[in-house]
Amino acid sequence: MKLSKLQKKLRAAYGGKYAVTQADGVRTVTGESADWAEIVAVCAMAADRKRGLHVVNDVRFTGAEIAPMRLPALRDRALDGRTPDVLIIGGGISGASIARELTRRQLDVLLVEKESDLAIQASGRNDGEVHPGIDLGRGSLKHHYIIRGNRMFDRVCGELEVPFKRCGQYVCFEQAALKPVIRAYVWKRRHIDGIDDSVVISGKELLRREPQFNPSFKFAIYNPMAGCVCPYGLTIAYGENAVQNGAQISLNTAVTGMTVEDGRITAVETTRGTLRPKVVINAAGVFAEEVARMAGDRFYSIHPRRGTNSILDKKAGGLLSSIASIKKLEVNSGHTKGGGLLNTVHGNILAGPDAVETWEKENYATDRSSIETVFTKQKGTAPALTERDIITYFTGVRAANFEEDFVIEPGRKTKNLIHCACIQSPGLTTAPAVAEDVAAMAVQLLGGPDAVPENPAFDPHRKGVPTLRDLPPAERAAYIEKNPDYGEIVCRCEEVSKGEILDALNAPLCVPTVDGVKRRVRPGMGRCQGGFCSPLVMQIIAAHQGIPLSDVTKKGGGSVLTCGETKGGGGNA
Amino acid sequence: MREQYDVTVIGGGPAGLAAAIAADAAGARVLLIEREARLGGILKQCIHDGFGLVRFKEKLSGPEYAERFIDQFRAAGIDAMTLTFVTAIEKLPDGGFCLTAVSRDGVTAIESKTLILATGCRERTAKQVAIHGTRPAGVFTAGTAQHLTNLRGVLPTKKCVILGSGDIGLIMARRLTLEGAEVLGVYEAKPTPSGLTRNLHQCLHDFNIPLYLSHTVTRVFGADRLTAVEIAKVDDAMRPIPGTESVVECDGLILSVGLIPENELAESLGVALDPRTKGPVCDGSLMTSCPGVFSCGNALHVNDLVDYVSESGEQAGRAAAAFCGAARDLAPIEIGKELLYLVPQQIDRNADNATVTFYFRSREPMGKSRLRLQCGDAVLFEKTYPFLRPPEMERLTVDLRDLPADGALTAQLTSMEGGA
Repeated sequence: MKLSKLQKKLRAAYGGKYAVTQADGVRTVTGESADWAEIVAVCAMAADRKRGLHVVNDVRFTGAEIAPMRLPALRDRALDGRTPDVLIIGGGISGASIARELTRRQLDVLLVEKESDLAIQASGRNDGEVHPGIDLGRGSLKHHYIIRGNRMFDRVCGELEVPFKRCGQYVCFEQAALKPVIRAYVWKRRHIDGIDDSVVISGKELLRREPQFNPSFKFAIYNPMAGCVCPYGLTIAYGENAVQNGAQISLNTAVTGMTVEDGRITAVETTRGTLRPKVVINAAGVFAEEVARMAGDRFYSIHPRRGTNSILDKKAGGLLSSIASIKKLEVNSGHTKGGGLLNTVHGNILAGPDAVETWEKENYATDRSSIETVFTKQKGTAPALTERDIITYFTGVRAANFEEDFVIEPGRKTKNLIHCACIQSPGLTTAPAVAEDVAAMAVQLLGGPDAVPENPAFDPHRKGVPTLRDLPPAERAAYIEKNPDYGEIVCRCEEVSKGEILDALNAPLCVPTVDGVKRRVRPGMGRCQGGFCSPLVMQIIAAHQGIPLSDVTKKGGGSVLTCGETKGGGGNA
Repeated sequence: MREQYDVTVIGGGPAGLAAAIAADAAGARVLLIEREARLGGILKQCIHDGFGLVRFKEKLSGPEYAERFIDQFRAAGIDAMTLTFVTAIEKLPDGGFCLTAVSRDGVTAIESKTLILATGCRERTAKQVAIHGTRPAGVFTAGTAQHLTNLRGVLPTKKCVILGSGDIGLIMARRLTLEGAEVLGVYEAKPTPSGLTRNLHQCLHDFNIPLYLSHTVTRVFGADRLTAVEIAKVDDAMRPIPGTESVVECDGLILSVGLIPENELAESLGVALDPRTKGPVCDGSLMTSCPGVFSCGNALHVNDLVDYVSESGEQAGRAAAAFCGAARDLAPIEIGKELLYLVPQQIDRNADNATVTFYFRSREPMGKSRLRLQCGDAVLFEKTYPFLRPPEMERLTVDLRDLPADGALTAQLTSMEGGA
């Protein structure tokens, strides 16, 4: 939409409440409103991807106080004076995968993450789908990266020893009359968008493959290239491989400011000291806009979008073996496929997510209404789906911009900066491909491939922790013979041994918290949710770290699990 | 080489210990497998008293009660594998079972003619009772809080709210108070308490801890550690009533919101479960739908007193030792809607049935009421109770030797209050 037309439309709809200006490929929206949904609608209206225009939201929101970014409690000068070649801000899937790709070269790579582990925010709070590229038209960066990223998963997950299954995805329809339209859509996908795996299958064939599905489905689009992965598992594996190849990952480290001189970042203030990096990569997720602002290179705005997923007991795993959703006729209000059902790499059914616009970037609280929305819809996919099988639920916040596309490019005003920002779905799928390109951009900024020699010691293979539960008895016995800790089961629901927990604590990136261990080797992920094993895991962490039991935390910082010793003092069990 | 046993007991808590001792006394070759390092099950952490009143006419602590059985078990020289976890059970084609057990010694295959599943129960969690909000540290099931306090010597909270008036919740209200923590109240979604009357008195009233009925916790707050919970009144269907929410500041939420029998191994064998008890459907000898597989203790149904757990273990132990694979003629007992459950759920007409022990709970609190067991129109047994409370399990033994050869078995609970 042309600027003049947009301005006219805004005046007609909202009077003089909002104003839009346009310069250097950026539309800046100003004004004041207490209605967040309205601000989002106005800014979305200003976005124009065809013209390559970005939107900056400078509307003052008066409806609530926007909480500042949460900072880690830890303060020291451990990183003070470090001069890394590349500083990566953010330890999500983007930052971790970029770090690993950069270690292919002889570079000093430092990744800082403000949370106590990698993948704590959006990267750890999604459904783990490796998307086939459904509903992505040509022209977007999402489309540009999706096929390449999707096709890389077999290799990357093989190298990093991360479970991955290409289980396929069904988009299911109840209305037979839609079949010709959908056939035409699939033809377009194949021949125009270049996404060539989709086929249309009959309702009968769908129910043969997925017998628990709604019997009134008339046909479905089947995307065989869709798959799933454990999203935090993959992020942590990327991070560990990066560390193994020489990168440094500093957790509990937040960036608080930058010095920019002559269009270059010369100093980066963190909660653990001042850094002087040559190149900075902004992979800060929902806070990428704040980092861009610090760097004097803000040309996009993020409007956080919350989504909640539920995880079901493995006993309900027979509900489906793939990824699926019912497609309803009404237009989706949020920018999402409206959630779905997915059988995870661990054999749990995951239901969700929904999509709710919010100004809160770090509010991960769940609500009953989200669960109800998802279950009401997905009972249409598989009628046997029931809330009774829920063992847990979680909320993630997507880092969407108003253009609804990734921003992956060098700084526009600031020279030694690269944005890897506004990475929302399908950012997990695209990460392996994006990481290669961002790493190449960084190398370019450092003088090009000739100036930055390859790292001859680079090893793409990461040794994962063995999952003994999945091994045949003879192999399992061989592991136990070498290390009897593999024979001591700590978590009964997920059958996790003490040996696997110690392996997680001895990995290249040790996160000695109950959640850190849980995310790596799964004690507490089962139906009892750690009721039995959490005291045992706490004990193992305390012994490994040489700390009192009462110092063990759930997830670092102030998340202490206990409040000191009882009157009798430390137990003896 | 595979070890061969007549009876393998899975679980070394009170049910499993009693089962192993009884099976051994009946002459069977018995193995007991326990996943923890020490025998005793959950009793190890139940340091309060009140155990054994029925059986020993004494007030024992949990460890003391367990010790009596452990001493007997050891004296009998019964084989035990501790810190050993059964990962799979396979039915052998010519009868019997092959278990795969993992321990620090490796992976062991064990053959056994019969199995006794004494696997206990687990606690329902926060998400299973639809508590929303953040995911801070400080939310514990009562059993986990008890483990930390009594076995690890660390205090899980200094100022807490307890949700659910189940017995462990009440016990922990007192325990935490004694440790110097502040227990702000016990909240119960039902209009009546879930725990034993004696625990309401000894754990709450004696310590001036308030009990709020028809209230639940709907939400938790706090990013790192719990800072507060949201409490709401609930309607008759236990749904929160909008507008009744209030926020209570605390650093701990202790949940005592129900126990679920652990029957994952039973399910892997195709054992039929009773949706009411969430334990196996058993006959009078506590044999499940799978011949040669027995169930007892809290895996069978959640008991109120450990004395009955031991009793069911002994029953299963004796029956497993005597198991010879005889054909059963199973007659299910249909129960009326006033009964929450009745165990056993069926009777083998081919069995002796001289003393069949039944356990039941009423669905709602009832005044004077009558339980009647019938076969067709013939009344087999009836008993009048002055009152019934769902938290208190009832036990009775019935002589069913004269059970008619046909006719449907039914159990009905009828209120005998005037007018109704």
